[in-house]
Amino acid sequence: MTSQHIQLILGMAVVTYLPRVLPMLVLNNRTIPEKVSKWMSFIPVSIFSALIFSDIFFWKNQFTIDPVTNIKLIPSVIVFYVAYKTKNLLWSMVLGISAITLMVYLV
Amino acid sequence: MKKQDWLDGLKVMYPVIISYVPLGLAGGMVLYDAGLNAITILAMSLLVFGGAAQFMAASMVSMGASVSAIITMTFFLNLRHLLMSSSMSGLIKKPSLPFTLFFSHTLADESFAINYNQFKNHEWTANKALATNTLAYATWSISTFVGALVGSAWVIDTTIINYVLIAMFISLLVSQFASKLYVFVGLTAGVLAIIFTILLQHTIALVIAAVVASFIGYFIDDYFTNRKEYTRKEGIEYD
Repeated sequence: MTSQHIQLILGMAVVTYLPRVLPMLVLNNRTIPEKVSKWMSFIPVSIFSALIFSDIFFWKNQFTIDPVTNIKLIPSVIVFYVAYKTKNLLWSMVLGISAITLMVYLV
Repeated sequence: MKKQDWLDGLKVMYPVIISYVPLGLAGGMVLYDAGLNAITILAMSLLVFGGAAQFMAASMVSMGASVSAIITMTFFLNLRHLLMSSSMSGLIKKPSLPFTLFFSHTLADESFAINYNQFKNHEWTANKALATNTLAYATWSISTFVGALVGSAWVIDTTIINYVLIAMFISLLVSQFASKLYVFVGLTAGVLAIIFTILLQHTIALVIAAVVASFIGYFIDDYFTNRKEYTRKEGIEYD
């Protein structure tokens, strides 16, 4: 373990832990107003969508909607469809990863 | 914590745990490839516990990015935990300080989505949520360590490795669609994330997109709630 690696890990640990712990510490033992909870109910959907869209529509840092170049698009449609139909996390993931593997080796 | 808490946590978490194994192995391998040894990788998993951040760190170390650049990127990438932590503080009533300190450390996208769903739609307790988080935390840490150990032996396509995360996020997103409004908010967040990513070329774009979309969802919901309220009152007056 080099000193640079130690710096890296400690730095990453601090900047990751603060956003994780502060809201729970500060908001501790207080009830969240209904309006705030209502707003927060939209947060998970927003976060996951932002993470997904900003990944699957980009190929090598370029916005790409050509499914032949951007091989993540077709597997993503499959994962969405299977997840919606079966509500089964494992199945949709297995099929999605199989699809991307096929795409990687076929395209 | 009772044995039943662990069993209930395992019951809801096993698909994620199963997916964490290949993901963690892959994470350990890419970090090893980037030049970190197995003990360093285990320390990183235990202290940082962030799949996306650790994958990002691996690629940035390989690129030769500075320590401060990687830490700054990690900060922006993991800002989203503010929202998850706020959300959990509303769901877990009066936790003890040690609980808060450890539970918040083990917050992750996947276990958050599952715990959130359990708290909203099922009987769920703080201890069951802690068990769920801890199972994910342990699986991730052990998997990345083992991945580092076998890192030199295997080479897996990085597109596939990264896609495991995305497939997981998509499945979790779909499970969050409680009504059409949530689908709309999701689409809004996604489109905004694309636009802001192109404009800003920075992962802070994701945080901005998510916050803006969640507010749009809130205001639409608020508008319809008020209108319903208004119509109801009018109805009473005309009676």
